[in-house]
Amino acid sequence: MRFVDEFRDAELGQVVAGEILAKVEPGRHYKFMEVCGGHTHSIYKYGIDDLLPANVELVHGPGCPVCVIPMGRVDDGIALAHHENVIFTCFGDMMRVPGSNGSLLDAKAAGADVRMVYSPLDALRIAKQHPDREVVFFAIGFETTAPSTALTLKRARAEHVANFSCMCSHVTIVPPLRALLESPDLRLDGFIGPGHVSTIVGARPFEFIPSDYGKPVVIAGFEPLDVLHAISMILDQLADGRSEVENQYTRVVPYEGNLRALEIMAEVFELRPHFEWRGLGFISHSGLKLSDAYADLDAEWRFDVPGVRVADPKACQCGEVLKGVIKPWECKVFGTACTPERPIGTCMVSSEGACAAYYNFGRFAREREVV
Amino acid sequence: MTVLRVDLARGLALCSDKEGTKSSVETALIEPVSPGDALLVHAGTAIATLAADAR
Repeated sequence: MRFVDEFRDAELGQVVAGEILAKVEPGRHYKFMEVCGGHTHSIYKYGIDDLLPANVELVHGPGCPVCVIPMGRVDDGIALAHHENVIFTCFGDMMRVPGSNGSLLDAKAAGADVRMVYSPLDALRIAKQHPDREVVFFAIGFETTAPSTALTLKRARAEHVANFSCMCSHVTIVPPLRALLESPDLRLDGFIGPGHVSTIVGARPFEFIPSDYGKPVVIAGFEPLDVLHAISMILDQLADGRSEVENQYTRVVPYEGNLRALEIMAEVFELRPHFEWRGLGFISHSGLKLSDAYADLDAEWRFDVPGVRVADPKACQCGEVLKGVIKPWECKVFGTACTPERPIGTCMVSSEGACAAYYNFGRFAREREVV
Repeated sequence: MTVLRVDLARGLALCSDKEGTKSSVETALIEPVSPGDALLVHAGTAIATLAADAR
């Protein structure tokens, strides 16, 4: 398929891997964070880790939409799903995220009307099919998904669908990155920037990383050659003593982002003063809620939502995994008590979660040859 | 996904993925679109048109 096959060329991959090997300084250890869960998935799926010299370490970042949702938020969703007359809709992987007392899937088994949708538009369609029921969409995701929710809310307003509302848990990528850069736990040499978030927000929001912290950023696509090429570009910046935001994913990411999407998001959403992230705690101005103009479509206004705050389970180390402080396999419950079939933490639920990606693809070939 | 048909009035396009599965996609963020365009679709919304002159 066009735009896909040419970026999965194994021979070209070996060539780029050779270039990377030639660019690294043998005595130096490089630590790059791939911000987005989509990159984490690709890295394990295609064995990109195994093509890299041993002194190039990839650290998994916080950009997995499902992974960062705190347990209390899941409990809130479940409470809403149990409201009489509510059809609660959400993306499939969100249904399996454990709350403090089971998941949305468990709530469905217990009688709540919880339905999986592929898009907010599907949820709106359900609302139109069931005018006598209240349909709530559990909106999660970064700036990549938020425009889709915004457009659906605008459509609901335009088409007078009064029984549709949204429990907004959208988050933004820059505040957690800044929090990570301020964290003393982590020393990073560069970032593989999130490709699809950048399609919406553009390259500009990441410029604080080179300007304030002196670290290179290369916005990258999700095919194996994209990721390898981005690593090679970061190494070039380090070798030249440069730190800037570069765009490897030019086939979809314009420097200024998608202005129409940004405009619609600004109309429909506003920043929450703070939002709780799983494992990262409360981060200021990192979450979105519906703006005053759309408050009538806000499920948290329409229904009584408990606003639960629950500590993460003690055994689960998703927070450390999300911050890149530990690798998935270093978590105490990885692959034993916590598996994709019976997840304890969010990172094991979503295909973009570092633990699930590693469990599904990477765990059989961890030992790499030291260069 | 590839655009098969465009419904201008509703701001939707019928698209097909590489397996041939068809779905309606919201196109408000990237209009105008034409049949044959390759779109990047996320959660039912096209967020970018893939540039033909890419790398």
